[in-house]
Amino acid sequence: MNKFNVICVDDQPEVLNAVQQDLKPLKQWLNIEECESAAEALELMEELDAEGQMVAVVISDHVMPDKTGVELLAEIAADPRFEHTRRVLLTGQATHIDTINAINQAGIHHYFDKPWNVDKLVGCVRSLVTSYVFDAGMDYSDYREFLDAQMMLRRLRIY
Amino acid sequence: MRPRLKYIIPLMVPLLLLLLPLSAFPFEGMTVIQQRVVAIFFLAALCWVFEPIPIYATSVVIIVLELLLVSDKGIGVLRLEEGQSHFGELLAHHEIMATFASPIIMLFLGGFFLAMAATKYRLDVNLARVLLAPFGQDPKYVMLGLMLITAVFSMFMSNTATTVMMLSILAPVVAVLTPEDPARVAFALCIPVAANIGGIGTPIGTPPNAIALKYLAEDNMITFGEWMVFAVPFVIVMMVAAWLLINTLFRARQDTIDINIKSHFLKTPKAMVVYITFAATILLWLMGSSHGMNSFTVALIPVAIFSITGIITREDLKKISWDVLWLVSGGIALGLALDKTGLAQLVVHSIPFGEFSPYVVLTGAAALCLLMANFMSHTATANLLMPIMAALGSSMASLTPLGGEVTLILVVTFAASLGMSLPISTPPNALAHATGHIQSQQMAKVGSILGVAGTILSFVMVWVLNITGFLG
Repeated sequence: MNKFNVICVDDQPEVLNAVQQDLKPLKQWLNIEECESAAEALELMEELDAEGQMVAVVISDHVMPDKTGVELLAEIAADPRFEHTRRVLLTGQATHIDTINAINQAGIHHYFDKPWNVDKLVGCVRSLVTSYVFDAGMDYSDYREFLDAQMMLRRLRIY
Repeated sequence: MRPRLKYIIPLMVPLLLLLLPLSAFPFEGMTVIQQRVVAIFFLAALCWVFEPIPIYATSVVIIVLELLLVSDKGIGVLRLEEGQSHFGELLAHHEIMATFASPIIMLFLGGFFLAMAATKYRLDVNLARVLLAPFGQDPKYVMLGLMLITAVFSMFMSNTATTVMMLSILAPVVAVLTPEDPARVAFALCIPVAANIGGIGTPIGTPPNAIALKYLAEDNMITFGEWMVFAVPFVIVMMVAAWLLINTLFRARQDTIDINIKSHFLKTPKAMVVYITFAATILLWLMGSSHGMNSFTVALIPVAIFSITGIITREDLKKISWDVLWLVSGGIALGLALDKTGLAQLVVHSIPFGEFSPYVVLTGAAALCLLMANFMSHTATANLLMPIMAALGSSMASLTPLGGEVTLILVVTFAASLGMSLPISTPPNALAHATGHIQSQQMAKVGSILGVAGTILSFVMVWVLNITGFLG
């Protein structure tokens, strides 16, 4: 069974640790990666893609040196290799304009305000990976015990 | 089972069977071709049990191996001895390929088109809403309503599609129940149970029925309507039993429950075409052969109508469950090889089944099938057992007073659908289990009680059919 990758991007190591800790219940079937900058995240995605691995979700902070989270997520959204990758913004400092860009340009799938609710974050990642499994054309039955049941039922309804 | 063994066993056992000398087999006059079919049969059986590859892939492997090893257009060096008596008769390659488009497959294709159109034009959800209304708000009766609707739908749609639809309808209802209310278990469990049992109701309800129909050709032909005459009452009795059982084990704490389905009947011209075609096809199926068409021919009418009208589009065609069709094709190809090479007859004649009590054979066959169906795909179980049962049934004279091969095939077919005690037993079970409301042992309890009770009831049913002269 392939493990799906979830990439967390934040310039503060303590935030990364906290997210990593929160996502522990998913570790059995997800590989959680940590990156401290947008550039590192993009490099890691290149590497994973070259190895034929799948990046299911990217969870990014917004305010970071060099490239912002919204710019990173917009770049991922525009890359056909990662068209099914789910994009999540996790930030406490986005302005009104940033939020508009996050929706219009980066087409984010979910927005978390800091501090976040652990159960909601875990539930959201599970649900996003579930829809990724269907979009990426994987056989959902291999992962059935881990997937989000509601999303699975919805995706199995053909229309 | 260590992970590597599930690859090694299905590969090594058939290879060993291929390399043994003919004299090693305890059957007088066995041919080289028959030996190859034995190897293919074991490969299929082991692959379907251990699942090193998806079950439909096993079916494709069967067909391709038959073409390469035992067909008249197979690998040249493997048929140099053609014409010699110990070699045996090769199969015609076009007959093997034709299993992909056998009438049984066409029947299912027609069923798929009907189900897809019904889902696309929301006929299924709308019917569920209307049919559920009279059952009120008492959780007990709401559950009965849900079960009956699930059973009726799974007679015409796949059990899996029905389960997905009903569980989606139920999700918001179950979500508002308190976590410790046993009604959660009851509601999530009643759907797969009803879908599995409901599938027995018609020849297109579930693939094992269609496979059985394949072996009930000619003298023993059962029409669509005739099948329903005995299968629907069986489903009704089982449904009441299942309802009573689930209600006793998991009694709801709440007094009322409200299922709110947001949907309206579509009234567009295309929706009308779907309604009329759906009703007309089922009517033609129920009329038997009084109009000269058999159920296979009728099945292709909706395929044509929905294609012409654009109700099923090019994109929709890609969503057809080809894996289910291929899974059945492989089974038919396996049956074809066992029958046409004379292997099935050879084996059945070499073992003195005639001396066994027919009751022992019937009970043993049903028990074996029920056991297998609990642990592997129902269709794969039927694929493996049905050709053997057909050969056994037709050669056992002592079975004739009990209804002959029809009796044997029917109890085995029903047992195949009743294997539902584990999450892995059927896709509906797996989906219901994935909702997280049911524990495996709760499913096992209900599933095994109903499985054994259903198998016993199927014996009563064939006994009634036999004394009323319905069989033969």
